[in-house]
Amino acid sequence: MKILHVVGARPNFPKLAPVYRAARAAGLDQIVMHTGQHYDDAMSDSFFRDLGIRPPDVNLGVGSGTHGQQTARLMERIEPELVKHRPDWVVVYGDVNSTAAAALVAVKLGQRVAHVEAGVRSHDRSMPEEINRIVVDRLADLLLTPSRTADATLRAEGEPEEEIAFVGNVMVDALLYAVERARVTGARNRVGVDHGRPAVVVTLHRPANVDNLTRLESIMRALREVAGDRPVLFPVHPRTRARLDAAGLDVGAVKLMAPVGYLEMLDLMDAAHAVITDSGGLQVESAALGVPCLTVRDTTEWPETITCGANQLIYDPVGLPAAVASVHRLSQPPRPEGWDGMAAVRVVDCLRTR
Amino acid sequence: MRLLHVVGARPNIPKLAPVYRAAARRGVAQTVIHTGQHYDDVLSAAFFRDLEIPPADINLDVGSHSHAVQTARILERLEPIVIAERPDWVVVYGDVNSTLAASLVAAKLGVPSAHVEAGLRSGDRGMPEEINRIIADRLASRLFTPSRDADETLRREGEPADKIVFVGNVMIDSVLHALPRARALEPRWGRSDRPVVVTLHRPSNVDDPHRLTALAEALVAVAADHQVVFPAHPRTQERLRAGHLSLPGVTVIAPLGYLEMLALVDAAHAVITDSGGLQEETTVLGVPCFTVRTTTERPVTVREGTNVMVRAPSELPAGVRAARRRANPPHPEGWDGSAGERVVDGLEGASL
Repeated sequence: MKILHVVGARPNFPKLAPVYRAARAAGLDQIVMHTGQHYDDAMSDSFFRDLGIRPPDVNLGVGSGTHGQQTARLMERIEPELVKHRPDWVVVYGDVNSTAAAALVAVKLGQRVAHVEAGVRSHDRSMPEEINRIVVDRLADLLLTPSRTADATLRAEGEPEEEIAFVGNVMVDALLYAVERARVTGARNRVGVDHGRPAVVVTLHRPANVDNLTRLESIMRALREVAGDRPVLFPVHPRTRARLDAAGLDVGAVKLMAPVGYLEMLDLMDAAHAVITDSGGLQVESAALGVPCLTVRDTTEWPETITCGANQLIYDPVGLPAAVASVHRLSQPPRPEGWDGMAAVRVVDCLRTR
Repeated sequence: MRLLHVVGARPNIPKLAPVYRAAARRGVAQTVIHTGQHYDDVLSAAFFRDLEIPPADINLDVGSHSHAVQTARILERLEPIVIAERPDWVVVYGDVNSTLAASLVAAKLGVPSAHVEAGLRSGDRGMPEEINRIIADRLASRLFTPSRDADETLRREGEPADKIVFVGNVMIDSVLHALPRARALEPRWGRSDRPVVVTLHRPSNVDDPHRLTALAEALVAVAADHQVVFPAHPRTQERLRAGHLSLPGVTVIAPLGYLEMLALVDAAHAVITDSGGLQEETTVLGVPCFTVRTTTERPVTVREGTNVMVRAPSELPAGVRAARRRANPPHPEGWDGSAGERVVDGLEGASL
């Protein structure tokens, strides 16, 4: 059996890695196609190393653009590859433009598509990721879900039972595999964290937060206040940095850093008092580490991180300082069903038996 | 209110026309984009004329390519137009690649899309049209359906009731609008008054040499009893030549304009087709239709109309021989000539 994995941006790689390893262990032929929709290739390469898998076999170098331009280039470049390789499964991950584009191309070619992380919804269609998710789930032949909530969502959308398979959360597989190696990176010591006052780690990149100047100012005001109390580490997405620079916003004692690799980020989070983010993946990762997460959005696609007590939605940034002061690390990291490090093995079982 | 209509191929134009006219009567600002995904622009232009609507405002000239490349061109070229026009609605029609691409562009830009002819399903994902339909429906903010079974399909797919608006069949609006003019045309074909009209273009029929041979044999047998007129898609003509299939007794002609085709079908003893639209048009004309496919996305034409599904081409000669035109053509609910008006009602009354 031959499987062709399509990944396009950094959040896809921790989802690919455990599936790739499980498929290798099962002796499957596999090809990894990186569309290069993300701008920083250097970052992507280090990600593959960190995750313990080899670099991609094919790089399409699609680059950035508007959604229309990028999706167009993705479709044009993916099609000849799928025609050439004729895989038994095209495996797509998460919710980036490459996920939707690859599914569209594959289905029109009559090739079978499996979606890892199916059925995840924020119910906010102004997020481009939500559009990608609903398109890919509508097209995929095999919907591999991270939670029972996702199963129920897909059923309510009329997806047939035989296409839905609960496998659990592959991001948690990647985290459990990497957490020991993350600790030996020494990242937490290098950034000068005061051990008496564990840091707050921040990531922000969504247009809803960083493209709206009023909102960005109000978030920065809250972060400056938090930084008066304890270290605040903010690895800044280039997009976010450009916005901060353009607005000339005062960052106060907030420590802005270049983006960090997967293992280093994991170590920073693992050592943290709390995480403030608008990313989807970090909500899952901080919960899996038992680190409180404050999500600066009004919706989440990961409701299980909230029900297990690790995550809260704090839409109004004014609420952040008090929330940071009141949270505590969980004594036992929560383990919702399927957060057991075996999700990718179940993915590969499904691919082999269907 | 400002509408941006996107059409891409001939079958879209009879769906656009009644919506365009209804909106124009109410003074709604509207722009028509023709993506040019179809091979024959000349024929497309004739369709606009025949349906009495102005030519498209913008032609994107994407041309024919593989599905991925064609969809890609449409995405790239349409996006800047939607950004510049900022319409209240992007209105998409039917099930061509332009339908899917325009829905995706609109969704990513946060502009609501409305799908005219929503909720149709053949249940066969091997058809590219089926993929286009399910994505256009999933992304649309307003789902205008031609039949109650389409409403039911969308509800089963979890679409909220307030998005689904039953309007009836816009293509039938066009048939009823154009019929008096079609009937006034001088007939150009026929030693007989009642020819059998054939159209075939689907890959499942014309790309499989065995299947195409069986269909050709059946058409030749039908031609023993009736004059057979076959306006053939260039792609189909190419396949016939490649298979060295001659069709003695069958009049193979180039594709026709809307009015001429309507006149031909209206006068026919029966129609043999794999098209979607003809299954519906024959119903309101009372003309027996033999659909050479295993599935239909328009079951109401079988349940209430004149349509019969034919699996084996060898069944065609006897079926056509026994067929009788209906003196009182069936009119399923909403096939009344006012569907375009109801679409515009739905767009104007929409609260998002």
